Amino acid sequence: MVDKITFTRIIKLLAISAKMDLAWLLRDTKYALAGIIADIISNLSIVSGVFLISVRFGGIGGMSADEVLFMMAYSTLVTGIFIMFGSGNNIHISRIIGRGQLEHLFTQPLPLKVQLATCGFCPFTGGGNFAFGVILMINAVNRLGLRISLGWLLSLAAYLLITMAVIVARAYLVSSMAFYAPVAAEEISYTAIDGTWFMSTFPLSGMPLFVQIPLLTILPEGLMAWFPSLCLLGRPPLGLSAVYPMLYAIILSLIAGYIFRKGLNYYVSKGSNRYVPYGFRR
Amino acid sequence: MSVKVLTDTFPTASAVSLYNVTKIFTQWQRDNSGKGILRNLIKPEKKEISALSDVAFDIKQGEFVAYAGPNGAGKSTTMKLLSGMLLPTSGEISVLSMSPQKQRRELMSKLGVLFGNRTELWWDHPVIQSFEWKKVVWNIPEPMYRENLEMVTELLDIGGLLKTFARELSLGQRMRADLAMMLLHSPEIILLDEPTLGLDVIAKRQMINFLKKINRENGVTIIVTSHDMDDLEEMAQRILMISDGKVAYDGDFDGLRKITGNLTRVVLTTENGFMPKLQNAVLLSSENGVHEFEIDLAKTPIKSLMRLLSELNGVCDVEIKKAPIEQVIASVYSSWE
Repeated sequence: MVDKITFTRIIKLLAISAKMDLAWLLRDTKYALAGIIADIISNLSIVSGVFLISVRFGGIGGMSADEVLFMMAYSTLVTGIFIMFGSGNNIHISRIIGRGQLEHLFTQPLPLKVQLATCGFCPFTGGGNFAFGVILMINAVNRLGLRISLGWLLSLAAYLLITMAVIVARAYLVSSMAFYAPVAAEEISYTAIDGTWFMSTFPLSGMPLFVQIPLLTILPEGLMAWFPSLCLLGRPPLGLSAVYPMLYAIILSLIAGYIFRKGLNYYVSKGSNRYVPYGFRR
Repeated sequence: MSVKVLTDTFPTASAVSLYNVTKIFTQWQRDNSGKGILRNLIKPEKKEISALSDVAFDIKQGEFVAYAGPNGAGKSTTMKLLSGMLLPTSGEISVLSMSPQKQRRELMSKLGVLFGNRTELWWDHPVIQSFEWKKVVWNIPEPMYRENLEMVTELLDIGGLLKTFARELSLGQRMRADLAMMLLHSPEIILLDEPTLGLDVIAKRQMINFLKKINRENGVTIIVTSHDMDDLEEMAQRILMISDGKVAYDGDFDGLRKITGNLTRVVLTTENGFMPKLQNAVLLSSENGVHEFEIDLAKTPIKSLMRLLSELNGVCDVEIKKAPIEQVIASVYSSWE
């Protein structure tokens, strides 16, 4: 009998990843701390740059400096969640596909989805940005004088989940190319996500429509922080509904799921003509 | 390891069955000329390679089977098909009465797979950490985990390795640790692809003895590929040979010897530099009064050989032994070319 995937089982799988992450932190503390600090500095330098511009010019495109800070806090939370759950190449899946390493996942008695959702969890070495995001968010909320209710917190959690769904769906969509061109597309997920990450921290308010619309559709950088932040502040931009990010995430996830499954079928039918022995685990 | 009585309970139960399995791969072809590169842009040239062609065999539970063949014969492809990593182009595969394609998860809880050139160990963690990770992912009950850990630690002599980082293990140590990890969930079938690859004599011996033990005592079905035929003969009772994607031989090792003419080695030790001559035999070596001949018992029956030997003068010792399996296999491979 196959064991059922219950909530407890998921927690146990996350817990073993967390335990290994803590073990790594305590064992190679110097290197781990260096990595954590580098991650935080890298992200903070991006968001603080945008924030300082908004302070200097009294806001950006109709958003006040405090609203920009709120958006930066949201962006930092997204980065934090991304690093916390995606440190095992499970989001940058093109690396695993391109290196012919999916076979390591096939031999585990777990659904692929569960393996991928739990195997990259590293709350200790990857939680720094998330913690900074929380601090920035509290600070921004205080400066904006927002009244925080349970409903608002749930909305924040929902928008973060939606943003993550967009990131993962996009990563899996472009990563599907690695099924067909393993060598050329091994790093395509990293290029697609990190290559445009900087754009996702820039407030699009006040930009012309021909910039805003592509960044909310073709390249969803506007959905990474700008659009959800304005929704949480109670004024969704461009007259769009606050549920637009959710609809976008659902449609993109369905497309990505379909394309990824097709690629996976190709992989198990044709086999991988490449195997790289490194980098499928942390 | 939890003792199984599968072979006692179901002596003829099938562990692995392949029915007319065919696996075809497509290879891109391109010559290096400018014309070839341009043609490739418009209409890429592809070549179909039949890795397996209508392969059918059945392996009973508790069997220890060697799966051999020359490079590119389809050994690794078969291993991948059995473990659900690849789908066949056509045909049916059943492992423990399950389809690797449709019941992957259930099958993986009963199957152990080890590829000699890959590791399942977490590189930047001590070996014991990988074992504990496996315990959670495979949902191994605590008593079974403890019992198996104790067993593999003792039999594979890995007690001193448990706290060592996987990245710091030698190849032999890593293979033992990988094998130990594979056994923690008490698999009913083990698939080993070149497990002795690169191992020294001692590490190889440990692995072979261990595999024989778990097959004999726990009834674990083992299918192993290797290029080292002497290892295979020592481990397995049955050999399945594959060539050009087809099963070319399925039987025991003695039967394999017979199809090459029952080649036998005769070693004669003589006194005073006497050089013996043996009818119908080929002299392979002659050094310090020890002369090794090869004779085909299919052409010279054992009675005739004994008579010929008794007629030789100056011989002080005679040894008759089977031809090394490596040589037999080489003859078989040559006959296939």
